[in-house]
Amino acid sequence: MNGFSRTKYTARAQRNNRLATIGFYTLGALVMLLIFWMLFTILSKGLPSLRPDFLIKNTEEMDAGGGIGPVLFNSFYILFISLLISIPLGIGAGIYMAEYAPDNKFTGGLRICVEALSSVPSIVFGLLGLAIFAEYFDVGLTILGGGVSLALLNLPMLARVTEEAIRAVPGEIREAGYALGMTKFHVIRTVVVPVALPAIVTGVCLVAGRAFGESAVIILTAGLSTSGEMWDFNLFSPGETLAVHLWYVQSEAIVEDAKQIADKSAAVLVFVVLLINFAFRFPLWLGNRRRGR
Amino acid sequence: MKIFKKFTATALTAIIVVTASFAGIAAAADSVKGKITVNGSTALLPLTLQAAKEFQKLHPKVKIAASGKGSVTGPQAVKKGIADIGACDWDASMDVPGFKAFDGQVANKVAVIPFATIVNKNVAVDNLTTEQLQGIFSGKTTNWKEVGGADADIVVITRAFGSGTRVNYQAKALAGGDITKKSKNYKETGSSGDMKTAVATTPNSIGYIDLVYVSGGDIKAVKFNGVAASTDNVINGSYKIWAYGYYMTKGQPTGVTKQFIDYVQSKKFQQGSLKKLKFIPIAAMK
Amino acid sequence: MGAPVHNLASRVKGSVTEVTADSKRHGRHLLSNTIFKYYFLFSILALCFVLGLVIIFIGKTALLLFGHISPADFFLSFNWTPEDEAFGAAAFIVNTLSLTAITLLIAVPISVGMAVLCAEIAPVWMKTFIRPVLDLLVGIPSIVYGYLGLTVLLPFLRQISGQSLGDGLLAAALVLALMVLPTICRISDDAIVSVPRKYRDAAYALGSTRLQVIMRVVLPAASRGIISAVILGMTRAVGETMAVVMVIGNTPQLAKTLFTPTSVLTSNIVMQISNVEFDSTWNYALHMMAFLLLIISFVLILIIRILGRKRRDAA
Repeated sequence: MNGFSRTKYTARAQRNNRLATIGFYTLGALVMLLIFWMLFTILSKGLPSLRPDFLIKNTEEMDAGGGIGPVLFNSFYILFISLLISIPLGIGAGIYMAEYAPDNKFTGGLRICVEALSSVPSIVFGLLGLAIFAEYFDVGLTILGGGVSLALLNLPMLARVTEEAIRAVPGEIREAGYALGMTKFHVIRTVVVPVALPAIVTGVCLVAGRAFGESAVIILTAGLSTSGEMWDFNLFSPGETLAVHLWYVQSEAIVEDAKQIADKSAAVLVFVVLLINFAFRFPLWLGNRRRGR
Repeated sequence: MKIFKKFTATALTAIIVVTASFAGIAAAADSVKGKITVNGSTALLPLTLQAAKEFQKLHPKVKIAASGKGSVTGPQAVKKGIADIGACDWDASMDVPGFKAFDGQVANKVAVIPFATIVNKNVAVDNLTTEQLQGIFSGKTTNWKEVGGADADIVVITRAFGSGTRVNYQAKALAGGDITKKSKNYKETGSSGDMKTAVATTPNSIGYIDLVYVSGGDIKAVKFNGVAASTDNVINGSYKIWAYGYYMTKGQPTGVTKQFIDYVQSKKFQQGSLKKLKFIPIAAMK
Repeated sequence: MGAPVHNLASRVKGSVTEVTADSKRHGRHLLSNTIFKYYFLFSILALCFVLGLVIIFIGKTALLLFGHISPADFFLSFNWTPEDEAFGAAAFIVNTLSLTAITLLIAVPISVGMAVLCAEIAPVWMKTFIRPVLDLLVGIPSIVYGYLGLTVLLPFLRQISGQSLGDGLLAAALVLALMVLPTICRISDDAIVSVPRKYRDAAYALGSTRLQVIMRVVLPAASRGIISAVILGMTRAVGETMAVVMVIGNTPQLAKTLFTPTSVLTSNIVMQISNVEFDSTWNYALHMMAFLLLIISFVLILIIRILGRKRRDAA
């Protein structure tokens, strides 16, 4: 700025700029501090006493020293089933809303409905799942029921995040594709989705993390018990997950080490969410590096 | 020739496998098998889960799915046909305040559950009478000094309407007295664990809980009409705040459901695991 | 961003020379174009189906309510005493609105500020550090938030306010603000990052300071994404339950102060829905409250969108 004369206006603007920068950094530091304090409170209680066998041992009702083996497995299994259903459908629906849907009142209304849906308490989705699987199909409390109900819960959010991500892709990139004579889907697949991918992955991570910690839906549709075996792939077994187990241990369990199990389970939950984020983001980060960005 | 031989071998193996699996099914038909869904009271859940585990060990062909959300869910789920057993903290085949009887359901006693009045550790009061409890929970008594404690506001912590613990506590400890709703020091909690945490972390608070959960230094159980809350006092009849836990079934239980309930009521389970879980065996009550 | 387009351009240029291969590939592209068009259509129909299912499921039970009590009794009465057949939901509705407002008042400035920090100000190493940490916040189960609220936040609030309980709107809003922070922040962050570089360059070229670029160019350009971030955060706040029930007190009365133990639509649904009989007026009333939540967030979203559009037009 040396070449310009400093008017009162620019001086003030620069002072504000500096103050704002300091403000933003302070805000960031405070929020980070808060988060780390929270993580510390959760992890410091659980991690030091965490032994590997806790992760594979069966749960106990009566004697101290129970593990979380089957419930941890169920957590992944149910998450996998729900993502298997909700990712293709959610992303598909998001792409349709952003690229194909006519821009009219109906589409607008649909969009708001989808958004409003995420304010329905998850317990209502649980009741819906209960009505579908336990009453209509009469299969009782199962892993399948839990996974599908969880997918229903996630679908709207996933669709909206995808739509936003796709819409944020600048129009001229698409036009460049069309100008080359590409079909609509070809443009979406090779141009639009790759550009929107980081944002879509963020959405998937948010949804997966939330699904992993969801308890109300699972309690009603997959139950609070396990088959008691590790690696039980049967879709019709009862499927208590880690978040549900955490709720149960914190609320009703009477084993003497309930408190420690709760602390350790909470720590494991947070850890797994970190892992999920990493698993989803790592390939993306690698791809970005290869492309030299 | 070689091909033919291979083919016969394969066919033979296939036949053997098929017969074997048929035989397996036939063999399984003799022993106990089936699927049981248990729903209802969360207070009985530890007992159900432990019993399910032991029962499944005895009869590996049986699959037991258990869940819990609230006492009334039990008989309701049985009524709707989505559960075989509904765990409930009261006899749902009869009317209780707030809930009508579920017709055609049979109540199977499985355990005795004692309850206790609990206060935060900073409360000096160690005995409360029925009248004093009625005053506190109905909102008429609002200061601890009125019942012999320090000069401090009473914080009432209670369970949501419809909780089995609340139904029983209201009936036995408050003699049917009201629990207030609109006060500035009043809070409802959703589970026994929340109740314990809330009372433990809120000074001057009072609440009630299953006796099993009373442990640790932050909460203490107060005497009821001069009698300490203990298993012995429940058995000898001097401590009155207790109730049976029930398994509700549609009509008399049959088949594998009956066998499961029989197992829970058996002496082996009642005197063994059930006692270890700090419930009181039903046989102990006269 | 330019890289894929460039690749494609060279690929297409190369294939022009081989005419037969090109037409074959073109046919394949047309086919996949058609197939996927139907697939996307199928997905949106599936989504509509789920939407319809939920609305019908809730609505069917909810509308039974008005066979038992009049809508005026439900919407205008402040008396919720289900034991005595009084089902007035007005207090819950007002409380839900105030809780949402307080939560957004706390959460939006902080989250958008964090998003700006991540997207515009912080050096790369800091961004790669902050973003995953924020994502982590989403994965913490709500019961853990509730537990921390109960054991850490409430005693703290009791101490600074002198209340003997501490439960109420303020405690709930603070917990909720923390819970929606990552949602609002990460989605706004993505929206800000996708604002084309040239906008910023143009503004800087005119001698703007960074603050001016952020406030007058970047944020308005990203406003669409930020608004949907706020909406997603808000709907999560409106619908969040497990954490709220632990710190709000669950007393069906109007919250006159920030520390009155009170109850909102969601917390009341969650506390009571598992304790009611299926065929009771009470159950219908609870379903009506869930339906009401849908309508409330529908209206709130509309308002935010209209406000957003006005601001964008003005900018």
